[in-house]
Amino acid sequence: MAEPQISKTYPVKPKHKPKPRTPKQTTESKYWSSFKTKQIPDLISSITSLTFSPTTPHSFAAAHSASLTLYNPQNKFSPTATISSFRDVVSSASFRCDGLLIAASDLSGLVQVFDVKTRTPLRKLRSHTRPARFVKYPVADKLHLVSGGDDAIVKYWDVSGETPICDLLGHKDYVRCGDCSPVSADMFITGSYDHTVKLWDVRVKDSGSVMEVNHGKPVEDVIFLPSGGLVATAGGNSVKIWDLMGGGKMVYSMESHNKTVTSICVGKLGKDGGEEAQQYRILSVALDGYMKVFDYAKMKVTHSMRFPAPLMSVGFSPDCLTRVIGTSNGTIYAGRRKNKEDFEGGSDEELERPLSKYERRQKKLKALSSGDAGGLGPVEEPQVRVLKPTNFRYFHRGQGEKPSEGEYLVMRPRKLKLGEHDKLLKKFRHKEALVSVLGSKNPENAVAVMEELVARKKLLKCVSNLDTEELGLLLMFLQKHSTVPSYSGLLMGLTKKVLEMRAEDIRASDDLKGHIRNLKRSVEEEIRIQQSLQEIQGIISPLLRITGRR
Amino acid sequence: MIGGGKSYVSAPPAFSTDAKRLLVCTGTVVSIFSTSTGLQIASLEAHNALVTSVIVVPGNKALSFCWTASLDGTLRYWDFAVAELMKTIDIKMPIFSMVIPSFLGQPEKGMQESALPVHVFAYLSVENTQVQANAPKALRGQIRKCDLTESRLGGGVFAETREPEVITVSPSGKFFGIRNKRKIHIWRVPAIDSKLLVSKKITLHHTRNLTVLAFHPTKTIVAAGDVSGRILTWRGFGNRTFSDGGKLENGTSKNNEEERPGVRGDDDADSCTTWHWHPAGINVLSFSSDGAYLYSGGVEGVLVVWQLDTGKKKFLPRIGSPLLYLTDSSDPSLSSISCADNQIHILKMPLMEIVKSISGIKLPYSVPEIYEGICNRFAFDHTAGLVALRTENYRIQFYSLFDDREVSEVQVWERNHQPGDEIRVIVTLVCLSGDGSMMSTVEVKLPEEGLGGLVCLKFWASGSQNKNFTMSTIVYEPHRDAGISSLAFHPTRRMVVSSSYGGDFKIWVCSDEIQQKREALQHSGWMCHAVGSYKKKPMTAAAFSADGSVLAVAAETVITLWDPDNNALVAVIGEAQMPIVTLSFAGKSEYLVSVSQGSKPQLSVWSMSKLSEFWSYKLHIEDLTCAPDSSSFAVLALLPKSSAGMGSNEPSLVGKDGVILLFNATDPVPLTMWSVRKAKGGGLAFLNGNQHSFQYNILDGKPPQTLLVYMNGDHEYVIFDPYGNETNELSLTKRESHVALDETGQFGYASIYGELPRFDLKRDQAFLAPSAPSQRPWETLFSGSSHNLPPLTKLCSEFMESLLEKRTATVE
Repeated sequence: MAEPQISKTYPVKPKHKPKPRTPKQTTESKYWSSFKTKQIPDLISSITSLTFSPTTPHSFAAAHSASLTLYNPQNKFSPTATISSFRDVVSSASFRCDGLLIAASDLSGLVQVFDVKTRTPLRKLRSHTRPARFVKYPVADKLHLVSGGDDAIVKYWDVSGETPICDLLGHKDYVRCGDCSPVSADMFITGSYDHTVKLWDVRVKDSGSVMEVNHGKPVEDVIFLPSGGLVATAGGNSVKIWDLMGGGKMVYSMESHNKTVTSICVGKLGKDGGEEAQQYRILSVALDGYMKVFDYAKMKVTHSMRFPAPLMSVGFSPDCLTRVIGTSNGTIYAGRRKNKEDFEGGSDEELERPLSKYERRQKKLKALSSGDAGGLGPVEEPQVRVLKPTNFRYFHRGQGEKPSEGEYLVMRPRKLKLGEHDKLLKKFRHKEALVSVLGSKNPENAVAVMEELVARKKLLKCVSNLDTEELGLLLMFLQKHSTVPSYSGLLMGLTKKVLEMRAEDIRASDDLKGHIRNLKRSVEEEIRIQQSLQEIQGIISPLLRITGRR
Repeated sequence: MIGGGKSYVSAPPAFSTDAKRLLVCTGTVVSIFSTSTGLQIASLEAHNALVTSVIVVPGNKALSFCWTASLDGTLRYWDFAVAELMKTIDIKMPIFSMVIPSFLGQPEKGMQESALPVHVFAYLSVENTQVQANAPKALRGQIRKCDLTESRLGGGVFAETREPEVITVSPSGKFFGIRNKRKIHIWRVPAIDSKLLVSKKITLHHTRNLTVLAFHPTKTIVAAGDVSGRILTWRGFGNRTFSDGGKLENGTSKNNEEERPGVRGDDDADSCTTWHWHPAGINVLSFSSDGAYLYSGGVEGVLVVWQLDTGKKKFLPRIGSPLLYLTDSSDPSLSSISCADNQIHILKMPLMEIVKSISGIKLPYSVPEIYEGICNRFAFDHTAGLVALRTENYRIQFYSLFDDREVSEVQVWERNHQPGDEIRVIVTLVCLSGDGSMMSTVEVKLPEEGLGGLVCLKFWASGSQNKNFTMSTIVYEPHRDAGISSLAFHPTRRMVVSSSYGGDFKIWVCSDEIQQKREALQHSGWMCHAVGSYKKKPMTAAAFSADGSVLAVAAETVITLWDPDNNALVAVIGEAQMPIVTLSFAGKSEYLVSVSQGSKPQLSVWSMSKLSEFWSYKLHIEDLTCAPDSSSFAVLALLPKSSAGMGSNEPSLVGKDGVILLFNATDPVPLTMWSVRKAKGGGLAFLNGNQHSFQYNILDGKPPQTLLVYMNGDHEYVIFDPYGNETNELSLTKRESHVALDETGQFGYASIYGELPRFDLKRDQAFLAPSAPSQRPWETLFSGSSHNLPPLTKLCSEFMESLLEKRTATVE
């Protein structure tokens, strides 16, 4: 009681809109849609493979037709280099762990190793008799390669000698995909059109595969999940997760795609710090044009995005900033998330950067205050004196000065933001308020101002006072918005009144007649829509009645 | 019996000499508020009718004497520091206004008064009751002079007017004047020893009705406001007429007839200037104490400061309500403005900053005709003893009935309220849940020629005890464009029914309740659970039974009974003659009470077991309330005009237009009845008697279980025990029957120290059972602000006494 109160000023606010019963965006889907997608169009044919370099700046290589293009995601996805010394369509590519070499396979059966910088082919590995379908550098191994092809043979190469160390036999159909274990340089898996996924260990030769699981459909893609114990396989409409440690048991089958899943990769929730930083997801793309994010801890699809073309390949950068998706019509949808390091440089740099005086003092203060709070151990003598009100510099602290713990904060009352129409309404200049809000491009505010004018019983007076130009503005607004369902209650009636009141002026001006024609057109269109909706209702309502009776 | 809810703005307040207290006329008593805390500290009670003037005797800051005048025809002299009546003068004519010019201008006079008896004269505006009110051209208002020292009325009549007018005195104490339609009459105060009965008078004319006038503190300048918002300033008035009287500061009288710009006709003034800023009538006009500025204010709620020489303006906008009075204090930095919404704001003057507000219960406001039927008046929180009132600026005020003060306000519609505008947006219904934790409101916006009307239903939830309601759900046009006739909360669950004139009712449930089963509690919100209608008839009232198993909805003249969970029609009962406007189940009994109004008003009791009418009366019922657990209910019935006129022969029924009848549902003979005044627009409610704050005040006997509160049309209320014995002879309108258990007992000092103020108030009474509320009262006895403390002599005895008591306690 008895608080001194002057009645506050309330800005004119639009009506509340109904909130959806479930929140529109979870934090995760917000994260996934925070990748700002950019199209890289006009590549020759479908993007068969996308692979990221393991070193910064994490450029990626896109295989399309008989060439391999490298893009730099930090520079607005500009192509940095194109390798085109292929005789046939490139099927797969893989960076070496230091990012200096790239291996690529093509449908002629040739596997080549290039220097990323000079683009010269360093080694040509010829052994596949049929098209080679995948090539992969083992993790943290610079000397060997794994490749597979339509000849159903998986080869383990000695790159420097250009010779296959061993041929791994066992698949009965085309080998289309494979991945190397993130924990061991000797283990890898391959997936084949014979529905099986085989785990190989090059240390045990001649004995065939170590383990084999049956996906049930031709396997399009297979990956190791980061733990090394789980693998995910894609084939048909499903993505399946298998536990290798548990003897090849299927953990879960995700079947939310409508067409064949073409490619999967591991994504990561790249939140800075915190527990969420280490959350991995499976990104899967399919011919139905959907990219789905699957949380294999909760076994739930957490996000889903639609693209306007069948999707062929997907890649996710190790720094969690870039996500690229390749389509069958030669377009790459490259998404990049904003982060500070784009502007400031890497975080490593920051640590080495000499600290400014201010920051040093802050650190000292922080150390000091934490020492006080803990109350443990000897409190170190601060080397930089804390500024005190006795010090002259105390009064010259900048605006950026942060308050320390014990300081009492005087909060400035938040200033109320009033729009131009609010200010005019406050001065009872009703017509000017209406005109100003019609000029601004926010129909919600305009309707709110009209409602406020109704509450003051001034709307029709305003309408009668408008001059020709302003009337044109009003008619344009009415034409655009009078059929919008949430405004139509007020605007339809207003339109009628305006036409009644200002018929003379409208007849006198050609501009206004044009507005009226447009208005008529949009009203007719709305009537057509309503009629067709009624027809649909007429069809549905007997059905509903019947089902209700049962 | 507790009373309260008085208007604080019926008359101008007055500051005490030290400006630390504000004396406010509240009905028949003068309440004293602290200007630093805004809380009430004492009250002066002796008048029998409305107090119209309070004048503090100026002088030393230690002095605390005041004169009050009242419609009961008495002038009283008080020592307000101890709330003691010192002198009474009976004039035998209702006094509407009083000024005492000799207090002004010569501050040393008050000091001399005790030494040698100088006569103090007051000028009174009285109503001549001998003249019949309905006689043509009756001059009922009179200005008279009264010798306060000798307690007798002067013989002469200064002026006679149609109605009693408010007298304005100049700050120098040399002139006083009244406005009379389009004229201003100014008299010069005769010298004390003057034998002249009637002093000289001048008259200034204007073309419009004047509303208020003010005198300049030093110069002969008078300002007046008129109904159109103009401010007229006459300079050098009365130079000719009063020139023999001595040296006026502006005394260079120019009698040149041509050089008097703006002065009308033969008026005795040098010049007249006009300022026009206010869009409507002016209520407040006052010069600053140094005479450099003029304050004005009116219906639009903006205080304007005019620089007198240049006419430049400064504003204090958005006070939110029409201004009524501006009162200066001896402290130049403090003033108070009284607003029509029963608030007194204390202003820090050069800055024009509101430092404190004293807010009373919101007064009723006029509502457009079409709304009148659909507005409910009050919602009561039965457990906490609160009433929720709709205010003009789209708020709900929560007012504590037991403490007689405002608890909080909730802004229902966020819109800038412009006082004085036509009312087109209005909060029509407010409804509180049984435990007071939820609220539901309905507001209506009137369409402009069929455009843009809006009905809006809102649900609110409060987290804590202090009634800080936050909005949880807003529903636009809940029943399409039809208005909502009533709202009712389910007694136990989170369920609300809203009935509309559009022919249906809707049951709303809070989604918390739905999702408890699925344990997926995301966010709470209200949604429509069921819709029901009966033969497309307008639904006019709704009520839940005490256990919530039956929902009764009145479809114009019939009552439909529903199962609220399954939305199934259970039964339809009988036919009233006129549409039913109120329905209520009589406690936990099997009876349903309905009220219909119109040309054939009716109060009916329906038996649920027989599904038929049990008994009925033809009475015009204003409000109905049912006791929560017993089967009794109380109605507020308006007496028909004819019987009210008849009743005027009996002295006990003068001016009373309503009766409260207490019934038991099983018996058509009322248990008790009380007659009341201003019943039109009044309300009734049963309150839970087990109130902490209420029990605190009852010194003898156990508190009653239920209390009945009656609120009259002016929002004044009384709380009493309907089953108590003494209430039979209690007259609800007699306020002097208050005992010490009213509001003085509960503020500031009093709330800490219990009956100590009582001990001060009536020293002659033997104090009752002094029990110290705190174990060691002497520790805190002398703390607190000094102006709240009683004199040291009184504290000392209390202090000694508390020590003594402590010692006996330890011995035993």
